[in-house]
Amino acid sequence: MNLFRLTLTGVVLFALHVPISGAKPIAFAHGTTVMAEYGAGTMKEAQVFYAPKYFLSLGAGYLELESDIDHRRREITYARANYLVKRWNMASAQANVFVWGGAGQAYVSETNGHEFTGNAGAQFDYETRRVYASLKADWYGAEDFSHRVDTLQLGLAPYEHEYDKLATWFVVQGRNFTGEIRDGIEWAVLLRLFKRGGWIEAGVTDDGKLQAMAMVNF
Amino acid sequence: MKRILLLSILLTSAIASADTIEMKVYGLVCGFCAQGIEKTLRKNPATEDVVVSLEHQLVAIATRQGQDIPDADLTKALTDSGYDVKGILRTQRSLVDIRAELKKAVK
Repeated sequence: MNLFRLTLTGVVLFALHVPISGAKPIAFAHGTTVMAEYGAGTMKEAQVFYAPKYFLSLGAGYLELESDIDHRRREITYARANYLVKRWNMASAQANVFVWGGAGQAYVSETNGHEFTGNAGAQFDYETRRVYASLKADWYGAEDFSHRVDTLQLGLAPYEHEYDKLATWFVVQGRNFTGEIRDGIEWAVLLRLFKRGGWIEAGVTDDGKLQAMAMVNF
Repeated sequence: MKRILLLSILLTSAIASADTIEMKVYGLVCGFCAQGIEKTLRKNPATEDVVVSLEHQLVAIATRQGQDIPDADLTKALTDSGYDVKGILRTQRSLVDIRAELKKAVK
């Protein structure tokens, strides 16, 4: 049993004993979010968003997708608006539905040219101080390609953090790419740490590659 | 030296006697929630200090001497931050006491 499977088994066993935090496209009103993600060599992304309202953020991003199958590559730069469709505030939990849409330009390796690109997506998340679950679908399309990146995350916190204390989460992530980027679901186990506006997470995928993300909200 | 001591006592007593507003807020589950709320409330000129407790769904504000923030303004500030206010109380507990009680509760 390799290290990944052992860690995954540990997380699942832990999940049986405790009830299951995560990145949202809008952090808080009048807040700025800067995020960078390194996704196992297949996906690299950077985003900057400003939220004039708690339900709306506007910004720009860069996404690089490189196929594990045939090395085709996309370099997408885009402007995007994120919108909070619905929020449920409970005593000790919160759930959200977000949608987003945008447009930009992509470099397409097969044609060695640039194309107009559309982007749309949605996210549902549920969170307590011990449990985090989210499902995100992010689509990019142009004349010569269409890719959807679906990401499922289940997180468990070993303790309930307070605002000014370090939050620790163990997260299992499953990610599926369409459009010949990767064959099969990519699983990863991640350690997520955050305190006040700073967030960092890192882990390993089922084929032993690094998966990491850093985010700052201010 | 005596002047410094007297000034310290006056400052401490001014902070301790400031009025406190305690709000029960739903939806507080992470540090980013608290960060946004604290940032919004600190912009109010009547705010002296803010404490947020995720565990107790509590947002407490110490107001500056002789100042208050109307309930409607508090509710609007929290609602505009994306959270639900379930109750507002005015108390004489200082934020120093609240912080100490929260710390004790964690232990």
